[in-house]
Parts: sequence; C-alpha cells; structure tokens
Amino acid sequence: MHEHGTESIKPGEKIVIIGNPNVGKSVIFGLLTGRYATVSNYPGTTVTLTTGSYNMGGVDTQVMDTPGVNTLIPMSEDEVVTRDILLKESIRLVVQVADAKNLSRGLLITIQLAEMGLPFVLVLNMWDESNSRGIHIDVEKLAAAIGTMIIPAIAVEKKGLKELREVLSQRIYPSISINYGGVVEGGIRELETLLPEVNISKRAISLMLLAGDESLKPWLKDHVSMSVIRRIESIRREIQDKFYEPLGYVINQIRLKRCERILADVVSRYHTGRSTITARLGNWAMHPVWGIPVLLIVLFLMYEFVGVIGAQTLVDLLENTLFGSYINPYMTTMVSTFIPDSFFKDLLVGEYGIITMALTYSIAIILPIVGTFFIAFGILEDSGYLPRLAIMVHKIFKSMGLHGKAVLPMVLGLGCDTMATLTARIMETRKERIIVTLLLALGVPCSAQLGVILGMLGGVSFTVTLLWASIIMFVLFFVGYMASKVIKGEESDFVFDIPPLRVPVLSNILFKTLSRIKWYLNEAVPLFIVGTLILFTLDKLGVLKVIEVFASPIVVNFLGLPQKATDAFLIGFLRRDYGAAGLYALATAGQLNPNQILVSLVTITLFVPCVANLLVMIKERGPKTAIAIVAFIFPFAFLVGGVLNFALNMLGVRL
Amino acid sequence: MDYQKSKEQRLEEDRVDEILELIWTLIEDGEATADKIIKRSEDPQAARLLNDIESKGLISTDHGSGGVAFKETGERMAGEIIRRHRIAERLLSEVFELDDRQIEDHACELEHTHVLGQVVVDSICTFLGHPPTCPHGKAIPRGECCKKFSQEVKPLVGSLTDLHIGEEAKIVFISSKYHARLDRLSSLGIIPGSVIRLHQKQPTYVIRIGETELALDKDLAKEIFVKKV
Repeated sequence: MHEHGTESIKPGEKIVIIGNPNVGKSVIFGLLTGRYATVSNYPGTTVTLTTGSYNMGGVDTQVMDTPGVNTLIPMSEDEVVTRDILLKESIRLVVQVADAKNLSRGLLITIQLAEMGLPFVLVLNMWDESNSRGIHIDVEKLAAAIGTMIIPAIAVEKKGLKELREVLSQRIYPSISINYGGVVEGGIRELETLLPEVNISKRAISLMLLAGDESLKPWLKDHVSMSVIRRIESIRREIQDKFYEPLGYVINQIRLKRCERILADVVSRYHTGRSTITARLGNWAMHPVWGIPVLLIVLFLMYEFVGVIGAQTLVDLLENTLFGSYINPYMTTMVSTFIPDSFFKDLLVGEYGIITMALTYSIAIILPIVGTFFIAFGILEDSGYLPRLAIMVHKIFKSMGLHGKAVLPMVLGLGCDTMATLTARIMETRKERIIVTLLLALGVPCSAQLGVILGMLGGVSFTVTLLWASIIMFVLFFVGYMASKVIKGEESDFVFDIPPLRVPVLSNILFKTLSRIKWYLNEAVPLFIVGTLILFTLDKLGVLKVIEVFASPIVVNFLGLPQKATDAFLIGFLRRDYGAAGLYALATAGQLNPNQILVSLVTITLFVPCVANLLVMIKERGPKTAIAIVAFIFPFAFLVGGVLNFALNMLGVRL
Repeated sequence: MDYQKSKEQRLEEDRVDEILELIWTLIEDGEATADKIIKRSEDPQAARLLNDIESKGLISTDHGSGGVAFKETGERMAGEIIRRHRIAERLLSEVFELDDRQIEDHACELEHTHVLGQVVVDSICTFLGHPPTCPHGKAIPRGECCKKFSQEVKPLVGSLTDLHIGEEAKIVFISSKYHARLDRLSSLGIIPGSVIRLHQKQPTYVIRIGETELALDKDLAKEIFVKKV
C-alpha cells in the first residue's frame, strides 16, 4: 500500500482540505491559495464551499476548503457535502488538518480517509497549544503508524507551511488498515462484489453502507440497479441482526479503540502545572454565575465600540462632515449645473435621490456601524467566546424549540439581518432554520435600524427605551415559543465542542472584516439603490399619496399616530430602517408624543428588515415559507402596535 | 404428570406471591384490612388464600379490627417480591425506556421467583446503582447487595446527571433511542470506555474528554450512564 509518487498532475485534479470543525482548515487554505476564506471559531461556520488555486510546479491546481466534519459517515448537511466531494471529485491529494491537542478526533477521520484509499498528508495544527498543555506527540512514530507524511504546524503564524508546500506534489497512500472482525469483514467482502468502480475504495463504501448511511442512497441509485440495492439492504440487515447495537455504532467504536491504541503509543503528557489566564477566563465565560458579568462586560464593550465609536463618532464624521459639508453640496451644485432637467436632477440629488439618499445612507450611516460591528463580531468569533455565549443562553432558546447555537445568527442579526439569515444554516433541522429566519425577520433590529431607533429613544427617556426593548424581547420570545409548537419538524441535539479561548490574530480579523465589508458593498449597497429607485418612482407617479389615503385610517385610528406617519410605514415596507428614519424626522419635528414614539417604533421594529432580507429568505427557505413569514409579520406588527396603543390608552399611561 | 403438578404448584405460588404483594402495598398505604385485601385482589379465592397463608404462619389477622400484619417469614417473602417488581420497573424504565403501561405488565411477570432469581436481582440492583425507589417513588426493599454497597458508598453505575461537579467517571453505556444521536455522540468521543470529567451542570452540562471540552444538554446527559473512577 505504501506508495510514493510524483507523477504529473492531470487536469481537473484537486487538492481537498479536510478536518474537524475549528482546526484551522480555512487558515491553511488561505495560506496556500492566497485567497481569503472566513476563518472562524464557531463550530460549522464554513458552510459554503470555498475554492481557490495553488500553483503546483507551474500548474494551477484547484484547492477546495470543505466544511468541518467529525466523521465521514454524514450526520449533518455539512458532512454530506464533504463526503460527496471525496466520493465524486477527482482528487490529487487530501490535506487533512487536525488539532494536535485533540488528536483522537482527527485520527477517526484519518482512518476513514485511509480506508477510502486516497493519498493524503496530515497536518497537526495548533502545535503550540498542545505543547503549552503538556502534550508531546512523537511525530515519527505516528507517521509510521499511519503510513503517511505528518507536518506539525501553527497555521496562524505560518509555521509548517513551507514543509506542507514541499510534500504537496507527492502522493502518499497511507498503510493503516483496520480489521472489523469476521462478521463485518464477511459483509464487506460480499458488498464489494456488488459495487461499481469509483475513485474511492469499495471497502470504504461497503463500510458506509453497513453503517447505515442513508445519505448514500441517491448516489447508489445512480450507480447500481434496484435489485442490487435490495441485495445490499438484505446483507446489511443480516449482519445487523448479529449485533445488539446499531452497526454504525459498532464500527465507530472499533475505530475509536484503534485511535486510542495509536495515541497511547505516540502521545505522552507531562504536567505543566499552570492554568493560563485565557483558560481561566474561558471557564468563567461559561460559568453559571460568573458567566453573567462576563456577558454584560462583553455587551458593554460591544456597545461602546459599535454604538458609540461606530454609530456616533464615525457616523458624525462621515454624514455631517464628509457627505453633509462636502460631497452632497458639491454634487448638488455639479448636477444642477450640468443637468438642467429637474427629473434627472431629483433622481440623483432629490429627496429620494441616489446620491443624497441611497449613497449617503448606505455609506455614511450604515457602513461605519456595520464596519465596527463586523470587527467586534470577528473578535468574538476568533476569541472562542461565541460557543460560550451559546452555553449561557441555551435555556432561553430551548423554550423556543431551538438551542444555544441559535444565538449566533441572532447576534449577527444585530449587525445585518440579511447576512444573519444566511447563517441560519448552522441550525441542523428545517424547523430550527425556519424559526431562526422568522425571529430574525420579525424582531432583531439590524445595526442601521438600531442606530436610528436608539438615537430617537435616547431623545425621549430611558423608561421608553427600556419599554421598547422589553416589548420586542417579549414578542420575540412569545412568537418563538408559539412557532416551536406550531411548526412541525425535529429539534436537534445540543452537543458541541468548546474551543479554547484564544487571543485573536489581528490580521485574520482585518481580513475577515474586509471581506464582509466587500460583501456589504457588493450585495447590500446595490439593493439600497434599487430600494431608493422604487421609492423615487412611487413618489414621482404619485402612488405614495394614493396608498397613504388607504393606509392612513389604520395608522391614525388603530395606532393613534398622525397621518404623516403613514409615509414612514410605507417606506418601512422596503427597508424598516428607512421607515424608522422617517419616524425620526417626524419626532424631531415635534409631531410625535412619547406614547406615539413608542407605538410607532415597536410597530416598525417588527417589520420585515428589508427587500434584500426578503430575497435571501426566498433563496434560503423557499418562496412558500418566505411568503408565509411575510404574510404573518406585517399584520402581526400592526396588531402588536394597535394592542400597545390600546393598552396605553386604557391604562392612561403618559410616558 | 410430574410436570403438570409442578406447573400447578407454580400457579399456586404465583397466587400467593400476588396476594403478599398486595398486602405489602396496602400496609405501605396504611389500609391493610382483610376486607380491603379481598376487595382489591383480582383472585376470586382471595379469602381462601388469606386463610391458607395465615395458617402457614405468613401473616396474622387482628380479629377485632380486621387489620392484617406480616409475620417474619411472610414479610421476608413479600419484601423479595416487591424488590423484584420494583427493581424490574426501574430497569425497564431507565435502561429500556419502555412506557408505563408496558413497564407494569412486564414487571408483574418478572416479580416471581422462578423468573428472576436472587443472584440476577442483586446484579441488576448493583448495575442500577442500588436505586432506593421505584420509578413511582416507592421504596425498594434493600437486598444483600445493597448492604454490602452501603459500606462501600459508591454506586456502581449512575446517570451523568447524578455525578458531582469535578468528578471523573467512565462511560458505561449510552441508552438512547435514536441511532443518529448515538452516532453524533460517538463522533465527538462520547462512547463507552471514555473517561469524562464533569465541569458544570448549569446553564448546560460541560464535560471534558481528554483535551476536548464539550457542552451538552441535560436531556442528553441523562442518557449517558457512568461509573465513577
């Protein structure tokens, strides 16, 4: 089995990077290809596949970064994707990345890769962390046990990269193999005769089939006849009958036992006797008591950074100084001089103008908030705090049919709901994804909206701010709870590994923030422009006035707001932060009393965030679900606003 | 013929078992009178049976109040039956997760001496960590094994949720109905044989296996059975 080869690269052959979640695959991918990929600490963030190219001996070879897996018998969508790549792609070399301090979990994958008969190298990343924990790994012994090249590395410091590049051109087939005992081995031999030739070994596929891998069914249907599938099923059942436990579990246990034996041979531990500050902080951050002050401190720092530095200082600088004093007056003069036609003039620099509204808004107000938020979020991600946050809030989410992991899209939603809706994919079941999407669309205000709303509430009183926040949180919780009862489907298990708390690497955070800002500029800004154009058209056609006539009775009678507020809600259909901004203008003009401010803000907060968010909902959850969510949200938002107005009047509350 | 006879004997034994069991539970509830026993018994010849076992010296009846009490032999026999029944209930509910209806049916079968012998009962008791009560909260009479155990203090096998924070234990078995859950846990290294250390129980369970820290929900922790090391 032991083969070394440097035969020339065939076109289309790929290098595939594989490993457990959180082991630094994306960092190594970035180092090899030079292209950026999101580096994250939260389990399963690499949901989308990233490809890049690596120059190997003058030939551009495609490199694929795969979603993190714990086993190649898939249990999640991510794992199906990774397994399918191995099954279907033409593979030059697999680069397996493992966490040196959690070697046993990496070895479980190593064994499965070896069984597939794929050439691979094993990178032992985070070598420094394992050393500081008093773990010593005998690399040569391990290499001999597996029969492949092993490279210790510290990817974030680019250590081990040179060695990795040197072995990339080689193809080494590992020699490790496992005997699963007479019964299972007999089954493997029988199954092997029924399977077609593919690029991974029949033995590996036989083991997957024995383990009861349902996700292999579609592939099987394409490759063998129905009668063969039935034959395979009966062989599997025959063998399963001989075991008390599920076969997949039996096979996994044999593999894990083998891993343990290898580890006992190559890993030695010495006591370092010191617990580092980060380790202690990591424990406090998920402690039932100390975790709460830590959470409050994190929230406070985030508010100071995003809410004060981003939303106040930077926005002021950009909006009032750059756009207000320079760009907008200058552009208005320019446009007025060169374009005499008032229609086109308004299109660019009018009330709903592309420059004066769309660009001012998206660049001067939202960009600084979103930018600082992305930096803060990147730090939280890379420090390993997010999984601890998930632990702290698990119980709240559990009552909503979700689990602690759902906090990740929620926090991201405070930055941008559209982006957060994309990350709802980290939830494992359809039901959980729908609930997360619904809650994001319903009541998690994005940074743009939050900036406007807090500015407006800050002008009234702290009580009103607190009331607004409590009502929104209660509505979210209530809707989440009801949704978990109404929506059918499974809930997934809450079990995941907690990465150690780390000091984030600045360059990674900068990279990540830049790519997210790039995403924002490419995806979100055009939608701002489209939204503004729609408004501009509606305004020019006089449609806004017509809808206003029909909608104003609801706004005036049911919500108890002035007729002018209708305008704001109409705009709110397109972007709720635009709507909030409209209300802001009304409030500063003194046309809303504190009661009306509260009612109008609660109503607009519960609107669907924006057109972009709607499009992403359609793309991610399908048109039917998306339309159902929207059809629920708008009437519900008005209902909550109306009930609130009614309650305030009944109780005679004057805020 | 001989077989036939022993079968009849066994049937008679079973009937005695049933009535002793009934008397035990009525005594627990403080309402063991002859009238009540005859009323509650499913045996059409309950009155005859009561006379039989009284003449055999298993129980005594107070003729004034009609109150029934165990004599020493009777109490020991009834205690063993109750113990078998409740240990069986515990096994069926905790390890096999049967529903209440099935638990009751099967436990009633298992309570007889000729089904579960003394040694087996004690082994199951030890395996379950000498549970003090049945799933319904009624006391399980202690057996020989429990007396030995109370000197050693450590229960052998218990749920992860029974472990104290900071304790180390070895996983003995995982009793989950869901294959996918077993697979997921095993891919994270939670398999029988792994040594775990319990870090915290709130807000979620946090355990450490080797160098990996894992967070898991209480629902999952309940299904992991461990033995302290």
